[in-house]
Amino acid sequence: MAAILISKKATKRFGGLVAVDTLDLEIMEKTIHAVIGPNGAGKTTFFNCVTGFYKAEEGEILLGEHSLVGMSPDKIVHLGVSRTYQNIRLFPELTAIENVMVGMHPHLHAGFFGIVFNSPAVRREEAEAEAEGHRLLKFVGLEDKANMLAKHLPYGAQRRLEIARALASRPKLLCLDEPTAGMNSGETQAMCDFIQSLRDELGITIMLIEHQMRVVMGISEIISVLDYGKKIAEGTPDEIKRNPKVIEAYLGQGSAHKVH
Amino acid sequence: MEQIRAIWQQGIKIGLIGGIAALLMALIGMLETFKARHVIFEIITMDQLFLLIVVLFFGYIAAKRTLPAKGPLVLANTFFVGLTIAFMLLLLIILGMDIWTYKLLDMRRMFRAASPELFKLLTFGIPGFGGRMLLLAAGGIVGLVSGIFYLLPNSVRKTSLFALSGIGVIGVLQDLVKPILDKWWPWLQELLFGPDGLSVKGAFYVFVLIGIFVLLWVLRGERIKTGWQHMPQPQQKTIKWSSLVVLALFLIVLPQIIGLFLSEALTIVGLYILLGLGLNIMLGYAGLFALGNVAFFAIGAYTVAVLCSPEIPILGFQEVMNVATGVPELIPITISFWFALPIAVIAGLLAGLLLGTPVLKMRGDYLAIATMGFGEIVRLLLLSDWLRPYMRGAQGISKIPKIEFFGKVLQGPMQIYFIIFAALREDEDVAQAMGINLPKAKLTAFATGAAFSALAGAIFAEKIGSVLPQSFQVWVSINIVSLIIFGGLGSIPGVVMGSIALMGMPEILREFAEYRFLFYGLALMLMMLLRPEGIWPAAIFKRELKEEHAA
Repeated sequence: MAAILISKKATKRFGGLVAVDTLDLEIMEKTIHAVIGPNGAGKTTFFNCVTGFYKAEEGEILLGEHSLVGMSPDKIVHLGVSRTYQNIRLFPELTAIENVMVGMHPHLHAGFFGIVFNSPAVRREEAEAEAEGHRLLKFVGLEDKANMLAKHLPYGAQRRLEIARALASRPKLLCLDEPTAGMNSGETQAMCDFIQSLRDELGITIMLIEHQMRVVMGISEIISVLDYGKKIAEGTPDEIKRNPKVIEAYLGQGSAHKVH
Repeated sequence: MEQIRAIWQQGIKIGLIGGIAALLMALIGMLETFKARHVIFEIITMDQLFLLIVVLFFGYIAAKRTLPAKGPLVLANTFFVGLTIAFMLLLLIILGMDIWTYKLLDMRRMFRAASPELFKLLTFGIPGFGGRMLLLAAGGIVGLVSGIFYLLPNSVRKTSLFALSGIGVIGVLQDLVKPILDKWWPWLQELLFGPDGLSVKGAFYVFVLIGIFVLLWVLRGERIKTGWQHMPQPQQKTIKWSSLVVLALFLIVLPQIIGLFLSEALTIVGLYILLGLGLNIMLGYAGLFALGNVAFFAIGAYTVAVLCSPEIPILGFQEVMNVATGVPELIPITISFWFALPIAVIAGLLAGLLLGTPVLKMRGDYLAIATMGFGEIVRLLLLSDWLRPYMRGAQGISKIPKIEFFGKVLQGPMQIYFIIFAALREDEDVAQAMGINLPKAKLTAFATGAAFSALAGAIFAEKIGSVLPQSFQVWVSINIVSLIIFGGLGSIPGVVMGSIALMGMPEILREFAEYRFLFYGLALMLMMLLRPEGIWPAAIFKRELKEEHAA
């Protein structure tokens, strides 16, 4: 199996604070790879480096053979990386279907004059895009809410809409930032099944930031644990569960021997 | 007893604010200027109308806030509002007139408008004690009327309010209505209007007519609306298209109907519609707060001017036989307006790209100031020695200008570019994370908006015949922003409404023109308070309302 994303000693500083510290990470194709750690460990910062919001100061982040460091976010999307956000960032005044259609942008080829004069090619592409949008909404179970404004959707629906939007660009690598935040157990289970289906049916590689241990242990194949920007452990869920460093990072020093 | 004390306290408090508004109107000379215009001949003049509006407005606010909301208490409240406002005006009179008479304090040193004429107007022309008592009584009575208005049942209130406003509007806008009636239905003009303003009979007819209309709408309006919504899509589409065609035809014929003076006013409105559409793309759709559109307006105008006028030898010279002297001479080459027009638009487009590039990373206020600076740069460049003011040549289009309806280029919600711009406006970072090339999108918005403005400028140059740097001051940009906010950001009909209201009114109403910026400010403030989405909101906002209906 090949690695789809490789991070070599990636480092990101904010002034004196080292948010991501010489991070070595490899995400294998078609896996669900969780990145966990206490709050402030640098997980979202790393995500931001991968997706182009931040520029890693040192080290390398490679997608296949492309270096993502310093690339602008829109180009990275064209390469096949897509993400969702910790605090949902939908376009509030657009409807659900419109939000998804924005996500399709990398695959829309309409030119300026075509749009201005409403050429048949553009109209066809628009119709196709709309159809695809509805398909995606159906996939996440939101097709009946297609014309609702994003800001009026209930919380769980918004999360799923964000995922639909991220899927619209047909990514190879999908970065999910705390997709089950704020969900109850039923919704969480549904989300877990859904994420697995993304990998199983669509062949997408998933990089996942999560706090709910049930989710992490339940669906991920590999877990990387960060603390203060450094990777302190990596392995299968079973290995991680028993790793004393991980337990200490979460529960404090000296807890390792109390937990089994 | 406690209740009553609280009531008149509230009434006085609100009355104080209303009184300040009334005093303001008096002291800036607005009332005196307005006195010259009769709304209903010999009965009520425009200054009285405005004072009436002030008292009714504040009375209404007080009525709304009366707790407990019992009839007599509301009336008491509003009575005090009216009384307070009148009292404050009375104080002004006493201070200004009596003390002045005793030569202790000449108010006119501070407030030029605090003249005997003003005081005369406020006391209905009746000198001494009588006039002042009349003022107080009038205030109290109008206050009571606003209270009665509040207490009326909804349909009655709506009807009478609209009907009365109709009288006010038609009486005030007589310069708009009279020429049209004069031309086509002079008997109607004689029936409705007196030498200045509506005649009493005319006012009555207008009241009844509008009253009937509003009553019909109140009773039947819902049925019509639901009927429209239930109409099948293709039918709706045909109706929309045919009404557009009718509208276009109407606009082409309009200048003939309304005569020369109003056509001029309409031209200004039309130009500002174009400018508004340009800024609408930048600000309404893409969310870029650009204040420098006057620069593109100027560039469009000057491009046409430079290319079409024999005063500027930019295209070289040609030999032309001078018929008078029989000797060939060199005159500058000029081209026809229709060739210069696309060049002007392209010039504007390029200028838009040029301006957009350095400001790509700026947002919000910074963007506004930077683009405003660009507007000034262009103006100062034009003022400089290289391009001097001049007259365009004699040829050209001399038919009375029509308004071109460019509104249908960007259709509405489902178009791809709309979505891109909307994403750009809503959340720039996420838009970029969705694959939208930010510089490209922003520059597209800039260039398109600039092209519209340049088009307006080209037409402007053609119409006026000469271009001067002072036509392109920063006020133009500010006017454009005001009118699209007033009409509704992101809405094309809103741009039209805003232009008619804010640019058309001053042309028609001389008094409006004098206090133009005061009214703009007032209009914008009221908009922000009462209806932030504008007079004719963009479809995007209407969707919210539709959803609420459906839910």
